[in-house]
Amino acid sequence: MSQRFARARRKEALLAYAFLFPSFLFLATFTYWPIIRSFWFSLHDVVLGDPEIFWMGAENYMRVLDDALFWKVLANTAFYTLTTIPISILAALLLAVALDRKLRGMAIYRSAFFYPVMIPSVAAGMVWVFLYAPGYGPINAALGAIGLPHLDWLYDSDLALSAIVIMSAWKYSGYFMLILLAALKLVPSDLYEAARLDGVSGVQRLLHITIPLISPTLYFVVVIGILHSYQVFDYVYVMTQGGPADSTNVLTYYIYQNGFQYQDIGYASTVANTLLVFMLGLIGLVALTLGRRVHYLGEK
Amino acid sequence: MDATIAERPSGAGSPPAIKPTRRRSLRSRIASCWLHLVLIPVGLLWISPLAWIVLTSLKTKIEVFDPEAGFLPAALNFANYPATLAVAPFGTYLINSILVTGSILIGQLITITLAAYAFARMEFPFKKILFTLFLLQVMFPIYAIFLTNFVTLHEFGLINTLPAMIVPFVASGYGTFMLRQSFRQVPAELSDAARLDGCGHLEILWHVFLPLVQPTLIAFTIISVVTHWNDYMWPLLVTNSDDVRTLPIGLGLLAKSDSGADWTRLMAGTTIVVSPLLLFFVIFQRRFIDSFMHTGVK
Amino acid sequence: MATVTLRDICKSYGKSETVTNVNLTVEDREFMVLVGPSGCGKSTTLRMIAGLEEITSGQLLIDGVDVTDLPPQRRDIAMVFQSYALYPHMTAYHNMAFGLLKTSKLTKTQVDARIREAAEILNITDLLGRRPKELSGGERQRVAIGRALVRQPKVFLFDEPLSNLDAKLRNHMRGELKRLHRDLGLSIIYVTHDQIEAMTLGTRVAMMSKGRLQQVDRPMDIYLNPANTFVAGFIGSPEMALIACRSDQRGTIRHNAFRSAVELKADNLPNDVLFGVRPEEVSFSRTAGMAQGKVEQSELIGAEALVQVRLGDELMMVRCQVSDAPQPGSDVGLDFDLSRARLFHAGTGQAINLVRE
Repeated sequence: MSQRFARARRKEALLAYAFLFPSFLFLATFTYWPIIRSFWFSLHDVVLGDPEIFWMGAENYMRVLDDALFWKVLANTAFYTLTTIPISILAALLLAVALDRKLRGMAIYRSAFFYPVMIPSVAAGMVWVFLYAPGYGPINAALGAIGLPHLDWLYDSDLALSAIVIMSAWKYSGYFMLILLAALKLVPSDLYEAARLDGVSGVQRLLHITIPLISPTLYFVVVIGILHSYQVFDYVYVMTQGGPADSTNVLTYYIYQNGFQYQDIGYASTVANTLLVFMLGLIGLVALTLGRRVHYLGEK
Repeated sequence: MDATIAERPSGAGSPPAIKPTRRRSLRSRIASCWLHLVLIPVGLLWISPLAWIVLTSLKTKIEVFDPEAGFLPAALNFANYPATLAVAPFGTYLINSILVTGSILIGQLITITLAAYAFARMEFPFKKILFTLFLLQVMFPIYAIFLTNFVTLHEFGLINTLPAMIVPFVASGYGTFMLRQSFRQVPAELSDAARLDGCGHLEILWHVFLPLVQPTLIAFTIISVVTHWNDYMWPLLVTNSDDVRTLPIGLGLLAKSDSGADWTRLMAGTTIVVSPLLLFFVIFQRRFIDSFMHTGVK
Repeated sequence: MATVTLRDICKSYGKSETVTNVNLTVEDREFMVLVGPSGCGKSTTLRMIAGLEEITSGQLLIDGVDVTDLPPQRRDIAMVFQSYALYPHMTAYHNMAFGLLKTSKLTKTQVDARIREAAEILNITDLLGRRPKELSGGERQRVAIGRALVRQPKVFLFDEPLSNLDAKLRNHMRGELKRLHRDLGLSIIYVTHDQIEAMTLGTRVAMMSKGRLQQVDRPMDIYLNPANTFVAGFIGSPEMALIACRSDQRGTIRHNAFRSAVELKADNLPNDVLFGVRPEEVSFSRTAGMAQGKVEQSELIGAEALVQVRLGDELMMVRCQVSDAPQPGSDVGLDFDLSRARLFHAGTGQAINLVRE
């Protein structure tokens, strides 16, 4: 009797595995296997195309610890993610709150803020190189027009990374704004009515009603922001090549330099592993701090 | 800590409490005037890079470096476009971009549909662990492990081919997750009815589930196309000749060869590269906005 | 010809058993209603007959053929679901054609003929081009029935098909279903939790509780002679009163509120019995009556009145003419219709066979 049962179960399980197989094949080849292999590489001296591989033990890791440039690169990466994400989310939140009403020209505003997402990172990077250009660039022209001193932007090692942060905020705020706008539409309007009757001011409403209610979405946006921060490679590659004086060198770019320019796969893998740990740590940190404070609307 | 707030009341929100009086509508009109006063400059600021691209592409070289020249080109100069198209094989780039983006999309739609159906509607051992493994890819995309993936593709002998730009993206943890959420909302009785109508799992998927989740499929398609059409890093790493390069790579190359001097030609190239997607965006604005808007609301 | 036979059918999920040893034969052209409270296993039983759920153990025969292991489409059955389960992206016509084209070898013209015929019967010819979204609840219901009809299956399965309709439409559709069954000679197995549907629709009713079959009988037989206290309580509104009495071997039933012992003939009576009386089997006595009670309240429901009477510790309902309804608080004498009275074993709840003269 239960044999029949087991047979049907087994048949369904087999079919399910067959359905998962195509995905799994590609995931295994391009996600799981590379992660494992990256650790294996980091323990060896590997040169691309050279079949000879030498065991190095923890040597690459010792090298990382002693590598002053690595620490600079790590600090740059941390600076980039920890400024870009809050700044673009804050801008997105302000825009979303401003647009969460019936407003003439709504579609135009939304498109105006959202279109940078559609622009390839390489194109965005190039335009901003032009915009930031020291002599003839329009940003400096505008600064000059209102009587401010010219800045060297991408050629100034103190400013270059911040210049990339500003550009990134321009590129992603519109996307985050859209996601937050969708969440704001789900906040029951009678909550605002009640707050208004209680004499709660606009800013207080934002802090005590809006933000707690859309906190799951804010949390989600932070995670998306972290995942998009991988794209910083494109900007660094196009805009500064890591310079000046490695002031814009970030982990992904440093991996690229070591792996592709110096052909040192072992060391590059070691740095790549720190990137994985860095990302894991960042997401873990966010999950522990923000994830716990999340308020859920109704369901689930 | 985790306060639970009741779901929004059904129906079209709360009933209109008071008929808006003249005074109130006046106040709200003033409020929206203020908003416009703030939003218009901010909006213009946001659009200015795009405007700058297009305007520069219509200027002459001398105008770009002339501090006395205004914001607008003195005369519309379209010569930069044919000049740009002459220096790089944009036609080949375009075809490659279409092939790569299209193949990724088709591959993804097949893999995520099957996997999402299994996760949403079938029972099998290790389901939870497998699902977590799928989500792992969301956290560690190709960009996080590009080095090892490059080595793998090198071993496969795929470097500098179109498949090198396609295969790493065929499976999508994010797409699987997104589609699974939609599949779970299809009423169970519909699959029962389909089984009585003689459908197996594949037929139920094809005849019942896929037609019902069309909005999600469209949203995924848009997000996937935008992502891969614009992708720069991966194609940059795995290509080294013009016959397999995509549009963004072509554009990057143009910048390199011009060594930052010829902005007019470069901006004409940029206009050519950004316009296909922006054009689609303008035409299907609602669809695009909705697709990206609801990536967050699960 | 279509008979459905369930032999020792069981269903368990892991360790918990939701259907236990169901034995049932549904005859050709019978309208069998499976009724019971929610969670009693009636829907699971129906889904096992449909082939949507595995049969854990036991045997299912349709027309004598063992179909226990066959997939749904090879059992020659059709089902109408509670939510109708119409494909939202297909027109009514395609909803009806879809399964037919997949499961039969009929040509398109034959399929078309069947759909037209079914649509004619159900009065939905004008709606065939519409999608479910553009149909009202009642119209969707008809299309769902039409989808089953065109299959011309041996057996029709209905899973609470009327529970999503409003009261008025439900009454109407009940009549329709009855007419379809009679006119077309269909074999139907119908699941509901509504006792009125069970009583009015079924040629026989199978009463379930806690995964077990309690009684299978014609509606009036179930009503008059429930097999146990569960069936007695479930069928009939207001409920049958079950008065705890003491009895001796000879059939003399005593209760504090009874003026004299009630005499019923039965073999081997236990000491504790439940005396079951329906509201219409009691009347107010013009004399002292068989029992003494006090009126708690009375409700006038149009043609008749329902009077709640306290008998010692127990409450019972009495159905009477509006003009006969006594004032609340008054003392009344009650007469029981002993020709219909029944006894249940107080411990097991099982009905006791009475010897009727």
